[in-house]
Amino acid sequence: MGEAESVYRKEFPVKGGDFANAGAAACEIKELLKDLGIDAATVRRAAIVAYESEMNVIMYAREARMDLTVSLGKVHLVVDDRGPGIPDIELALTEGYSTATAEMRELGFGAGMGLPNIKRNADVFAIDSEVGRGTRLDIVIRTNGHVNP
Amino acid sequence: MTETIARNFHAIHITKDKCIGCVHCLSACPTRAIRVADGKARIIDQLCIDCAECLRVCPHNAIHSHMTSFASLEAFEYKVAIPSTVLYGQFGPTVVPNEILSALRRVGFDEVYDLSSICELNCAATEEYLNEHPRPRPFITSTCPVVVRLIQRRYPTLCSQILPIEPPREIAAKILRTILPKSLGIPAEKIGIIHITPCPAKMVSINSPATLAKSYLDGAISIRDIFPQILQALRKSEEDSLMRHLFPETLFSGIGMGWPLSGGETRGLKKHRAVAVSGIRDTMRVLDEVEGGLLQDIDVLECTVCPDGCVGGPLGVENRFLAKSRVLELVAAAGEHAVVDHKDVSRLYHKNFLSFDHPVAPAEPRPLDGDPAKAIGKAKRREKIFAGLPLRDCGVCGAPDCRTLADDIVRGYARLEDCPFVATKPEKAAKPAGRADRKTKKEKP
Repeated sequence: MGEAESVYRKEFPVKGGDFANAGAAACEIKELLKDLGIDAATVRRAAIVAYESEMNVIMYAREARMDLTVSLGKVHLVVDDRGPGIPDIELALTEGYSTATAEMRELGFGAGMGLPNIKRNADVFAIDSEVGRGTRLDIVIRTNGHVNP
Repeated sequence: MTETIARNFHAIHITKDKCIGCVHCLSACPTRAIRVADGKARIIDQLCIDCAECLRVCPHNAIHSHMTSFASLEAFEYKVAIPSTVLYGQFGPTVVPNEILSALRRVGFDEVYDLSSICELNCAATEEYLNEHPRPRPFITSTCPVVVRLIQRRYPTLCSQILPIEPPREIAAKILRTILPKSLGIPAEKIGIIHITPCPAKMVSINSPATLAKSYLDGAISIRDIFPQILQALRKSEEDSLMRHLFPETLFSGIGMGWPLSGGETRGLKKHRAVAVSGIRDTMRVLDEVEGGLLQDIDVLECTVCPDGCVGGPLGVENRFLAKSRVLELVAAAGEHAVVDHKDVSRLYHKNFLSFDHPVAPAEPRPLDGDPAKAIGKAKRREKIFAGLPLRDCGVCGAPDCRTLADDIVRGYARLEDCPFVATKPEKAAKPAGRADRKTKKEKP
């Protein structure tokens, strides 16, 4: 009971190609974390992680669900998408690597910050991807964590 | 920590007698800082950023700004005006800036200084700062006092990305405050240095500066208030205008002249990538992106909350399109050559003469509850309440939208019964209003 009381859960559906609402889920997550009294540095890291992963879904996947769980001392985000998957995770995690098209770049997206940027801002980062199926990111950000954006 | 911003001075106020409790200002407010209670609009001090969006939309002239009055300057032995270059755009093409400056002298200022050269100086200092500081990116300029206050409240993590060079108005006033007492033989406190501006928020940055121990300015007069006197002075001296045209006494900077137009602050940067945003909603959208880690390939972000920049300020006289067109003519007429020596700017810059006294401090956060576990409980309850609201965002409850009403309820500032659509079936979870000091009455339309 006490456990359930102090855990906050919310899911955010994200649609691939929905550039009109790009960043909406990340913004809502950010505002929510502020309301929950999470410190500014943690909010910033979570905002970057949420923004990048939401943009990844919008740019590459068909759809996804972002699951946010906030408990005392911890922000947990799971982004589970149905999409093309990542053939070479190693490469996708290389700083500066991007598969963004010229059109996306023109819109200001895909500066090659994506996955490495998410990893850099997470305290725990797990990625699981299957080509033709989708990608699942599992990210934990601890309040008072050690990583700096 | 550094300075707190608990005691807020505000320039925007509601005249209760004129307010009829309609909902125009409620929905216009970008920080959801207005509530209607007992038939009158009320501004929540901690949330207001003095953007004046409410002032623009109020159909009853019930929202006004507290600016400096010309009469109050009598207290000063020597009065100096430093008008925003927006002022030059308020007149037709036959009235040149030199005439406007001399008209201000006839209005009663002992001396009047043009700001365009100081704007150019600021741009050169910004260039130098960016050269010396490769990270973080983007830096955000601080000219717009509303942007600074918006960042303090809504984007606290971006406080450290505000470029710590004072805006031209403060640099100009600081220079004058340094040199005038000596050259005039008048004590500094007897010299009044006044900004003339279309912006109510300049009063806020003067009265509660975010980056200075004390502002170097003594007040700000709105263009709207002083315009009739300038016009009168111009009419009286039509015969002089030809002389002024032929014998200009001030050298204007083309680089600085365009400062009040969106993009004007950064137009003079040579080596850096700048992006200019104007309008409150677009500014918030872009700051959201910056907080999400985007725009890191941009060196400097110029944000002004008024549409098209300061030229769209609410206290101007000429519409902003004509004013902008006129300022652009003046930019072209002044040309591209520099009027300030960059070596001099560099010297001032390295003396820290142009820097903030202290960095911008984030505002006190407003979590749902100080206790994290309770905050989580309240967030859940807020969601449940929100799900039961009609989502019409009608404003009848006194809050700008259903989401805000749900938020107010869990914070103890409103009751579920304030909503006219759910009033008949009070939710059992709804606590009676926790704080008795705020009575919210339901207003039937």
